[in-house]
Amino acid sequence: MPISPEHAGRRYQPTDVYVVSQAKVGEFARALGDDHPAYRGPRACAPPTFPIVVAAQAWEQMFHDPDLGLALERVVHGEQSFESRRALMVGDEVTATLTIEKVRTRGSADWITSVAEIGTLEGEDVSRVRATFVHSHPHQEEECR
Amino acid sequence: MPVSTAATVTAEQAEVGTELPASTVHLTRADLIRYAGASGDFNPIHWSDRFAAAIGMPGVVAHGMLTMALAVRAVTDWVGDPSTVRVCSTRFTRPVVVDELDGADVTFTGSVSAVEGTRLTVTVQAVCEDVKVLGPTRVEVDLG
Repeated sequence: MPISPEHAGRRYQPTDVYVVSQAKVGEFARALGDDHPAYRGPRACAPPTFPIVVAAQAWEQMFHDPDLGLALERVVHGEQSFESRRALMVGDEVTATLTIEKVRTRGSADWITSVAEIGTLEGEDVSRVRATFVHSHPHQEEECR
Repeated sequence: MPVSTAATVTAEQAEVGTELPASTVHLTRADLIRYAGASGDFNPIHWSDRFAAAIGMPGVVAHGMLTMALAVRAVTDWVGDPSTVRVCSTRFTRPVVVDELDGADVTFTGSVSAVEGTRLTVTVQAVCEDVKVLGPTRVEVDLG
């Protein structure tokens, strides 16, 4: 069964524990060309969009969920938001728990809004990473193959 | 890409309409590969011209998340402390096509769109080749 509005509310298991490391924060900041000193050292904070690294691990569960039948080559990233109580910090041990918030069908595409809740092992909510993906339906001839 | 400039802004100094300094970031294919490695997003649309053409794109395109991160950086460079960011949101409206040799230039402009106590909201625009490549990107910082 392909993805449909009925899949709203589907929640996945938390991801494996992700440990925010000084090396990864530094690598991510360098990839943005950003040499801000706040991103360096053992007490560094992570850049504001860094939670995407953790959220992306949770997205994998949805993209590979056989019930949804998503084709990655037909998925594009439509919208993105982060709501954070604080920045992720080096040393944080976190997991991401993904929920499908909403599925809308518009024309020949499904708009899938997901929320990854990132929290520490101690139970502190840190960040909500909301992503909307646009999943195009296959062309008619592809479906007949 | 340019390096950070030290700047600090307080909530008292900012008012609705205050403009951020404009900045232009030159992106190359190497930047996309570096971001792919750092973020874990290895979608071939960000490094293979043939793959991009096969799905109807004009060429290799930058990660939307890279463009968004650079838009947020325009704000963190301005406020000085990146750990103050509480909310950021955008829509990916047009691809940033990064030529293999010439790269691409993305220009960021922004202004304060709301002030509420210690919280400032800055709205950033990202333009490449005269086309807005992101919807208005809202970045909310808490300077308290």
